[in-house]
Amino acid sequence: MPGTSKRISNGSPPVPGPPVTALRRGRAVLTSEWIKMGSLRSLRATALTGLVFSVLLAFLVCTGFHSRWHSLGPETRAAFRPVDTSLGFLQLTPLLFGALGALVVTGEYGTGQIRGTFAATPQRPLVLAAKAVLLGAVGLALALITVGFAFLVGQGQLAGTAPHASLGSSGAAGALLGGALYLTLTALFGLFLGVVVRSTAVAVSTLFGLFLVLPVLVDNLPKGAAWRHTVPWLPSNLGYSLWHSPAPLLVRATPAGFALAGWVVLLAAGALASLRVRDA
Amino acid sequence: MSAHVTEPPRRPEHPQVRTRLRPRAGATRLGATARSEWIKLWSVRSAPAALAAAVLVVVVGGFVLGAGYRSGWASLSPGDRRSFDPTFTSLRGVQLAQLFVGSLGVLALTGEYATGLIRTTLAATPQRAQVLAVKALVLGLVVWALCTAASFAAFAIGQSQFTGPVPHASPGGPGVLRAVLGGGIFLTLVVLFGMALGALTRSTPLGLASLFGVLLVLPVAVQLLPGSVGERVDPYLPGEAGSQLWRVVPPSPHSLAPWTGAGLFALYVAVAAGAALVLVRRRDV
Repeated sequence: MPGTSKRISNGSPPVPGPPVTALRRGRAVLTSEWIKMGSLRSLRATALTGLVFSVLLAFLVCTGFHSRWHSLGPETRAAFRPVDTSLGFLQLTPLLFGALGALVVTGEYGTGQIRGTFAATPQRPLVLAAKAVLLGAVGLALALITVGFAFLVGQGQLAGTAPHASLGSSGAAGALLGGALYLTLTALFGLFLGVVVRSTAVAVSTLFGLFLVLPVLVDNLPKGAAWRHTVPWLPSNLGYSLWHSPAPLLVRATPAGFALAGWVVLLAAGALASLRVRDA
Repeated sequence: MSAHVTEPPRRPEHPQVRTRLRPRAGATRLGATARSEWIKLWSVRSAPAALAAAVLVVVVGGFVLGAGYRSGWASLSPGDRRSFDPTFTSLRGVQLAQLFVGSLGVLALTGEYATGLIRTTLAATPQRAQVLAVKALVLGLVVWALCTAASFAAFAIGQSQFTGPVPHASPGGPGVLRAVLGGGIFLTLVVLFGMALGALTRSTPLGLASLFGVLLVLPVAVQLLPGSVGERVDPYLPGEAGSQLWRVVPPSPHSLAPWTGAGLFALYVAVAAGAALVLVRRRDV
């Protein structure tokens, strides 16, 4: 067709202003994503619930050990690890962080806001990257506060009767950083999962299935070769390796961290592919 | 919704005739409500998908767990072999299925609140408690029928995997038939629990969080408590109490008896449903 290569003028003058560079666009996307994240009540509520739940559980569990220490058997006492005990909430809090990550995007799909977002910035991978960067940064800060606060509260309750740890104790700092990394990676996991499934209900159910039900289901299976090559690599078990002292049959902390990051990268690739081929 | 639900049949103006018709109107309304709930259930994609997924994980779970135990039986410790429950093992897909069935129950109401359909539903049938009850009946019957069938299939497939030294269960064994039927009953209670919590919260994320929080998170949190505190509280949690119905070997000496546990779970569901019935009549939609 003749003329298609020319710009079609609709009569309005070109918009004056600085040219849109990649840097400007990136900053603008980051700003808009930041505003969206900061203005959603559901995100604040989920983050606050995660913090309160973790600290409360650490407080309850450690108070329980403190008050019943003298009635516990010698085996229980010998197996007692103050760091692991105070961080036990890390079996559950990742669900809230995952839900937090999922809500960042499924909320937009639920309300239709996502269409406005992609109309404003048709560079969809850029939008996802901005969300991931902000969620990663906010999630890490929130995770460090949650884990650190819960640890200090828990150890404060243990002090006196039961053995307790401080931030300087051997392995404590590693466990705290590992736990914070686990929570941050689960938040990103939730974000990319949310992009793939686009629905809060499906994302939350999948998170519960993958992080809570499936591990319990396969935990008691005979530990044959098939078990040893698959079950320790489930996201929840990799996360467990990150914050818990080494457990038999599970992966060590460093490879676990890389493998969990691998899960997140895999889901991110799925999310990018989904953004590319599907309508918003 | 079809037109005859919203448009009542023309009645003659005679007052005597109208009073004569009134007793039949209630029955018609019940049937119409049931029919509309049936249409709503099958016309959104999420509900058939969740039901299919629930049936699938129960059946596939029976096969995978059965094959896993058969191949790894030699590496099991003597203690694990003694406490091995072939019926329960073949039915454990129920634990995953409760996620799908529970979401289905929550979404049955919160989905209507999210889209605004609930206003149409309650305008068509202002007897709100009746709408909820009929919805629960339709959803409960569908889930019960499908999940009972899935439960029997999983049991048969699972037992066919237990050959050689692996003990297997037969339907005539003590408590076995009850456990297989229990899988379907437990999932039916889960869907009703989800519905009640959906009616109470009127929000999908909140409803799901409260349902899974109570069924799945609470037991893990309680088990973190030291010594006997966790062990003594755990059997009375809704999920733990209810799951005794589809076990043959009780998991702990503190566990409730199968029907006691199921009764307690049903009581929790009834309390939640009662609160939902009261609130749905008081609140605006």
